[in-house]
Amino acid sequence: MPRAQEAMRGIVILRRVLATIPLMLGVAVVVFVIMRAIPGDPVDIIIGQGGTATQQELDLLRREFHLDRPLHEQLMLFLGDLSRGDLGLSFVKRRPVASILLEALPATIELAMASLFLSVLFGIPLGIYAAVRQSSLVDRISMAGAFLGISMPPFWLGIVAILLLSVRLGWFPTSGRVSLGVLLEPVTGFYLLDSVLTGNWAALWDVLRHLFLPALTLSVGIMAVVARVMRSSMIEVLRENYVTTARAKGLHERTVVLRHALRNALIPTITVVGLQMGVLLGGNMVVETVFGWPGMGRLVVAAIFSRDYPVIQGGVMLYTFIFVIVNLMVDVLYTYINPRVQL
Amino acid sequence: MTVKLFPWMGIVLLVILLLGPAVAQPQPLGFVLDTEAFRKVEAEAIAQDLRSIGINVEVRVWERTALLDRIRAGERQAYLTDWGSAYFDPFDLAVPKLKTKDRGNYSFYSNPEVDRLLEVGSTGTDDKRRKEAYFRVQEILFRDAPWIFGYYKDEVQAASKAIENWEPSMDSRINLHDVRITKGSVIVVALNTNSIITLDPAMHRDRKTETVIRNIFDGLVTRTTKDRVVPELATEWKQTSPTTYEFKLRRGVVFHNGDPLTADDVVFTFERVLREGAIGGQSSPRKGLLGPLQKVEKVDDTTVRFVLEKPFPVFLQALVHFQIVPKRYVEQVGDNTFSERPVGTGPFRFVGGTLDSRIVLQRFDRYYGGSPALPPVGPAPAAGAIFRMLPEPATRLAALKAGEVHIVEDVPIDLVPDLKRDPGVQVKTTQGTRVYAVELNNSRPPFNDVRVRRALNYAVNWDAILKSVYRGHAHRLATAFLPSGFGFNTNLKPYPFDPERAKRLLREAGYAVK
Repeated sequence: MPRAQEAMRGIVILRRVLATIPLMLGVAVVVFVIMRAIPGDPVDIIIGQGGTATQQELDLLRREFHLDRPLHEQLMLFLGDLSRGDLGLSFVKRRPVASILLEALPATIELAMASLFLSVLFGIPLGIYAAVRQSSLVDRISMAGAFLGISMPPFWLGIVAILLLSVRLGWFPTSGRVSLGVLLEPVTGFYLLDSVLTGNWAALWDVLRHLFLPALTLSVGIMAVVARVMRSSMIEVLRENYVTTARAKGLHERTVVLRHALRNALIPTITVVGLQMGVLLGGNMVVETVFGWPGMGRLVVAAIFSRDYPVIQGGVMLYTFIFVIVNLMVDVLYTYINPRVQL
Repeated sequence: MTVKLFPWMGIVLLVILLLGPAVAQPQPLGFVLDTEAFRKVEAEAIAQDLRSIGINVEVRVWERTALLDRIRAGERQAYLTDWGSAYFDPFDLAVPKLKTKDRGNYSFYSNPEVDRLLEVGSTGTDDKRRKEAYFRVQEILFRDAPWIFGYYKDEVQAASKAIENWEPSMDSRINLHDVRITKGSVIVVALNTNSIITLDPAMHRDRKTETVIRNIFDGLVTRTTKDRVVPELATEWKQTSPTTYEFKLRRGVVFHNGDPLTADDVVFTFERVLREGAIGGQSSPRKGLLGPLQKVEKVDDTTVRFVLEKPFPVFLQALVHFQIVPKRYVEQVGDNTFSERPVGTGPFRFVGGTLDSRIVLQRFDRYYGGSPALPPVGPAPAAGAIFRMLPEPATRLAALKAGEVHIVEDVPIDLVPDLKRDPGVQVKTTQGTRVYAVELNNSRPPFNDVRVRRALNYAVNWDAILKSVYRGHAHRLATAFLPSGFGFNTNLKPYPFDPERAKRLLREAGYAVK
């Protein structure tokens, strides 16, 4: 790729990263307003639903959380803090929101990456195979399986996997990120990475075993989507003239499919994978709950129930950022797979 | 013209007058029954009973907070609600729920006599008179029937058979000091929570958090697995006046960092909670739990005096929930570091972990031994303890069966039979301290009529509902008082299921019935 084009690409990427800032701000303001519009008072939820809270106590905490101020003043305070890079303190945990979010994020990213890896690893070959052997028994079985995979609720699947593979067969631990006896030096919060960085191979194995069931549960649905999209786009591409040409040249069918057709057929699949990744990085509240996985999904849903406004606002801003960045990464990836695509 | 019409009009008027009462026939009673999702099945069953005598009931499901907002605004008619009590006294149950305009009075019930008696019960100094007052309140409530009175549930916990000397507590604390484990040496407990809130005893209002904290920290007093208050860091106490208490501290107690426990630590602990902004500029959310406590003073190195604004008969029950923190350490490291690396006088010291996944504790070998009233006395038999946060009940039980955890709280009642069949598991129950009922809006029709409210109490077949929904793990209440609380009137029996009587009362109140 020529130098100038490379530089252009850099500028476009930078511009799009910077464009997330007003977007995040906009989203934060919308969430700020929505949260205050829905019923429920955080102070009341924290201390009021017991028999001992007094009015003075409720008033004091409301004052401390600035909930006694008019809405526009609260918004100004929030934006003021934000401009200094301060997301505020959680009402419930009374700790900085930024550190609460950053503690939960590695667990979520690790799980998201693992399940995406599994979905791509099995979904793409399955889709290709089904497309090449269209209407064969294998195609029908795998597509029926994919349909089943999409329809299966992760909640149910997770519990069945635990009962069968953990309790009955004892192959995997039921829950958590690492065994209680395994000592793991926290470096990044990504346990796989931490065990590699500290050269702790026993821990790596243990972490992988913990990661497998939740990742599998989360990946089944995505795997099914990936396989179906891969199949249909591959079928379409295989009808193209250049594929016929390749075949006419006497190339081996394997080469035709993997070398010539796959690149183009991958584009819709990557779009789908990118979208799923955005969703996965938000954390899956259900799977995190079932597997005792301390991630973003559980954190933000709990914050919504307790009306912990600062955590919700910070969480949603982080989601926005992740989503935009993932989409950007997908777009950049397009240009590598198909150089005719421009950013 | 007008003259001509007049006789016609007279006839029409006559017809209306004669047929009027017949046309305005009694209408059936109809209302919306509000519930949260977790009690929907129960709400439908209640509605079914009411429909069978001709009441039109529609069940509507809400999110908790949204519903409470509408209830407080007086916009709803009848709602399934619950209210927990922590002090084993109507002080934090009947008082907020039924005193005129009190914070939890969602039924808008108002009876001056009840108000007066509740005041006597919750602020009196003579226990006999308090008890009499509470007894009387229950009799009046039973008659006035401001709610469809409900029930309390059992709390079910399960443990591995390798666990010994373990008993669930009514206050849902899991006290690991006394528990022995025969397989391995570390006890693992699965808590029903996404995350505990903090490890600073002054910065939360959450029972799960308190369960972990109370294994690291001790208080002046503690509670048996039932409701009795017994000494812990205090050896004895005396009430020198209706509003003054003096506590003698145990000698030779040390914090996990080696600092000795002194009266200064006790004073510091309570000032942290009482003073506005005392914790790094923030205020403790636990102040209200101390009621009218005004100040805490050091008398000498081992004596502390508590001065109250007015008599507070549940003061000792309240003190159970306050753990003593080390003054010197907190001042030295600051409140934030203290919450990350807590130091207490409890049976276990903090080793590591995160609030949303697990907290690891190690036996404190210099532990003074704990409450003499809760044997064994001495360092904990277990070498360590781990609390894991497992919010999904099926996972908690799977982890128990797989041997990954040893004690599990909040076992769903429908999973109890399966668990009881497991030879490696023991299941134990204790009385819950939460009242479940259907509150009625007494301030407006139709429930401002006591006949209608009583009719509903007769019309619901609670025994059948509790048996089918909670499999015998829920127990009826005659009023809004708990048997585990002070002043429970055992003479009152719950309203019997009597649909005929319910119909009679409704007919008297002017409603059509089936």
